[in-house]
Amino acid sequence: MVHVDIAAEKLFAIGPLTVTNSMIGALLASILLLLAARWFTRRSGIVPSRGQSLIELPIELLAGIVRGTGGKRWRQFAPLILAIFLFVLTANWLSLLPGVGTVGLAEEVDGKRIIVPFVRAGAADLNFTLGLALISFVAFISFGLRANGVRGYLKELLIAEPAYMTPLLTPIHLISELSRVISLSMRLFGNVFAGEVLLATMLALTTATLFTLPLAFVVPGVFVGLELLFGLVQALVFALLSMTYITLAIAEHRQHGSSDDHSGAAPEQATAPAHGAA
Amino acid sequence: MGPDQGKDERPPSANWAVAFDLGLRLGISVILGVGGGLLVDSWLHTSPIFTLIGMVLGIGAAMYTIWDVARQSMRR
Repeated sequence: MVHVDIAAEKLFAIGPLTVTNSMIGALLASILLLLAARWFTRRSGIVPSRGQSLIELPIELLAGIVRGTGGKRWRQFAPLILAIFLFVLTANWLSLLPGVGTVGLAEEVDGKRIIVPFVRAGAADLNFTLGLALISFVAFISFGLRANGVRGYLKELLIAEPAYMTPLLTPIHLISELSRVISLSMRLFGNVFAGEVLLATMLALTTATLFTLPLAFVVPGVFVGLELLFGLVQALVFALLSMTYITLAIAEHRQHGSSDDHSGAAPEQATAPAHGAA
Repeated sequence: MGPDQGKDERPPSANWAVAFDLGLRLGISVILGVGGGLLVDSWLHTSPIFTLIGMVLGIGAAMYTIWDVARQSMRR
């Protein structure tokens, strides 16, 4: 019986490091992206082939969005946003391949025989999504610090206007900031994990009786198609929200009327024409 | 940037991302406030004082989030 547990299952341990099946999923996505990057940098041409155009399509789509939304400094954070998007997209779509989540070791738990899969969707583990959300959190704080300076950023975060409201507004502000990390991580985890459960349920329902068995060749396929779409949407949402947070952290600087630039960005870089994606 | 600098260049896709985010952040703000209050209460044995304070702060943070998103949207 296919079994979906909320926590990733332990496969083996290397010293103190426990390796889970979702870590294998994330590692496979990383390896795939590295191989694709290597192949792409060696074989890409100025006039793109069909394969190259296909690979460039999602990158150009997101680069266009970052260029349109990210303000003058879009080039500084476009690589991070594109990397997050491609990593989450690859990890999500990898989990839909045959064998992922279904091929594994049979184990007996509480008298029931279950399958512990060798590979599980990376984002179906909260550790993966929380890690990515923390990267995004550190990125938007560091962009905020570069734009406002340490003093300006801390003043913005900890001191309210008017100053006597500080004891009330500072905890509110901190809760609001912290909610971004949790919202980013829980959304991705919730959607991908729910997708895994949905696919397992559909498979279990359609294979439950001989009468419904023909449906097993159609119904799970429909849901796999939907999961392809949800995987793309969730990767896009995660990347766009990271970009929005970074853009807002930089924009605070301009809105509070400070004219000194702490980022060290050259003026020609800041006003560079919007072509030639990152 | 071109001559249309200052216009809202944000594509619609970026707007849905903010919309997706807003609903979840409202709930999470309240949960964080109440959860933090419960933790402090269980630590100091002062139940339910900090739970109530945390709840008020959580609801305040949720309202602040809405105000912040609306303020950013209006500025664009």
